Amino acid sequence: MSEHDGNATAEALGIAVAARVPVLLWGAPGTGKTSAIRAMADAMGLPCETVIASIREPSDFAGLPVVAGDSVRFAPPQWARRLAAAGSGVLFLDELSTAPPAVQAALLRVVLERTVGDLTLPPEVAVVAAANPPEQAADGWDLSAPLANRLCHLTWELTPRFIADGLAGGWAAPQVPLLPAGWAAAEQLHKGMVAAFLQVRPALAIAPPPNAAEAGRGWPSPRTWEMAARLMTATDAAKASGQARSALVRGAVGDGAGVEFLAWLVDMDLPDPEEVLADPASFRLPGRGDRAYAALASIAAAVASEPTPQRWAAGWRVLGACAETAPDVAATAARVLARCRPDGTALPAEIKLFAPVLRDAGLLSP
Amino acid sequence: MTRESAGPPGIPAARLWAAARFPYLASGLFGTQVTPVPGLEKVAIDPRWRVFIDPELAADWTPAELGSLLVHHVCHLLRNHSERAGAYGVTEDDSANWIDAADAEINDDLVPAGLQLPGGAVLPRDFGAAPGRLAEEYYALLQGRVSRPGPLADRPRQWHDCGSGADGLPREHEGPGGLDPWLADLLLRQVAQDILDHSKTAGTAPAGLLRWARDVLTPQVNWRRLLAAELRRAVADIAGAVDYSYRRPSRRAGAVSGVVLPALRRPVPELAVVCDTSGSMSDELLTMALAEVEGLLRALGLARRLRVLACDAAAGPAQRVTSARHVELTGGGGTNMGAGIAAAYALRPRPALTVVLTDGYTPWPNAAPKGMRVVAGLLGDDAPDAPKWARPVRVTSGQAATIR
Repeated sequence: MSEHDGNATAEALGIAVAARVPVLLWGAPGTGKTSAIRAMADAMGLPCETVIASIREPSDFAGLPVVAGDSVRFAPPQWARRLAAAGSGVLFLDELSTAPPAVQAALLRVVLERTVGDLTLPPEVAVVAAANPPEQAADGWDLSAPLANRLCHLTWELTPRFIADGLAGGWAAPQVPLLPAGWAAAEQLHKGMVAAFLQVRPALAIAPPPNAAEAGRGWPSPRTWEMAARLMTATDAAKASGQARSALVRGAVGDGAGVEFLAWLVDMDLPDPEEVLADPASFRLPGRGDRAYAALASIAAAVASEPTPQRWAAGWRVLGACAETAPDVAATAARVLARCRPDGTALPAEIKLFAPVLRDAGLLSP
Repeated sequence: MTRESAGPPGIPAARLWAAARFPYLASGLFGTQVTPVPGLEKVAIDPRWRVFIDPELAADWTPAELGSLLVHHVCHLLRNHSERAGAYGVTEDDSANWIDAADAEINDDLVPAGLQLPGGAVLPRDFGAAPGRLAEEYYALLQGRVSRPGPLADRPRQWHDCGSGADGLPREHEGPGGLDPWLADLLLRQVAQDILDHSKTAGTAPAGLLRWARDVLTPQVNWRRLLAAELRRAVADIAGAVDYSYRRPSRRAGAVSGVVLPALRRPVPELAVVCDTSGSMSDELLTMALAEVEGLLRALGLARRLRVLACDAAAGPAQRVTSARHVELTGGGGTNMGAGIAAAYALRPRPALTVVLTDGYTPWPNAAPKGMRVVAGLLGDDAPDAPKWARPVRVTSGQAATIR
């Protein structure tokens, strides 16, 4: 578990680089984004080519058109040649949000397909970008939606504690985890999870941003969902924290869709109420109080929606089994169950288990 | 099986009482992890959903009182008081006043709903303020006082301290552990969803909590940010302002033979603002929106290109202004923004972007004017929608954006 959020962002950055997913750091000027990325490349022992997007022309990314006879070649610039020769490395695109729209358009192929002019960079090259939020850069542009959709967006925020530690003891470079060989094989599992989620929420499969202000951040599309699945696979392979995974998923598909997906994943661990009612002995109470409440409340609600004597009795058996470990949670669900008693059924024995706590809370009518 | 949230005796009955009385907060109540800390002499919560209770103190309270305290502390987390305190620059010296202010924000809603806090609750009226305001406002009021006012002065010191969950300052008794921030965020959203569901099906939830839940689940975009983004986007799209073009050769082209370089070009767009001056308009919002537009254009270096038209049922003459203060807003009759847009379209040179500031109660043209972008600034909370071809920005005076 991370001690502060600054760590989680750095951890997430390391995972995205390890998975070779293009990543963009958003943060105020002067917060050390550039030095963190350079330090990270140094720690990995990889060459780092810094290209400041805002002072470049589109032809620096799309290739310089050179007239050769009756055709035009698109000559790649020197930094691209160096990276291609090294076979691996970090391409760092700084000041992305102050790049004019035409430069952003030229960057589209560089970011995702690693193609510069007529040259294709090796797949081992990691693309990392940094940008200031448009409201903090006087000459800032919002990122265009197509470019935003090709990147995983991470927010670079420093806590005062992190800055104090850094000034005193030097800045720690973000760690890039070593992923075990063949880690990407597990990607199919996470793609399956995303697919299952999108069947429940089809509206989130593609949801272009509704206004210009949100266009510059992550938004759900088939490409970003695939990116999210890849990042989740890498997070698992690196055994990283849940906080980093949350930052990566939300960074890829945007805050709204990301949070819904994460909530759905957490809920997936809850038992299916119908299965529990069919076999009450199989029920295991989740450890965290709110999860326990969610599980028991869903079982009580399932009984209430179709209160047959058999289901009612099964519901009580589940609650009775939890009365000792979680009396308050079980009693809250028991009050729902008590209100939907089918006609002609006898009171179950389990109800006595809840009498003391209900009496203490002043909820037992005499 | 181990349960991490059982806590000291009396807690189950207290939580049951609270969950029965405030069913929409049940997820949050059961989500807390209650830890007894002997000798603490208070009840405190931290941002990771851990509640620390002095068991000796808790033994003297009824389940209703203890349950009320839990509800109160959970509300500190719901309303994000720890982060808001940090953003407002609350230090250890000011923490007592901040916590009183935060308490007042919570209690004004919940005490009428049946909260029974032991030792009495801090309410806005204790320091002569109106209910339903934000903790920041109460705090500014309390900080302005030299001595602590009336009922607050008599309360024992430890009562002021609800823990780091209320003021964001770490305490000694908090070790590592608790809920991860991303899980805490999901729990918060679950509670917000519960509150909305409850208000739709089962009954009522306090208005303040309901507003909070809506803000969490459908966050309001700050209209200033949105307006800025729309204007920047419009200016960029129209003018390709400071952008590259292959239409003309680059100045550098002469230096490198055989290479085609694009040129940097900057056409300057003309802009117009149409102000709705019909009787139904709020002057305050109109002035705010107009000042915002002017500020943005100044930042883009286009302020001198601005022309303003006042429009009710018919459009007035175009005024070239250098400051929003100089605009003469004439009119006051019926409304027809179509006339304003047509008048802007007829201007020479033709504006490439027109911003219409209106309350929305107006007929609109059926189609977008050809070759001119329209951004519709809709003023007021209940302005009707703009037509599909205009880019809408809703301008409200609401304070909602500050609550998480």
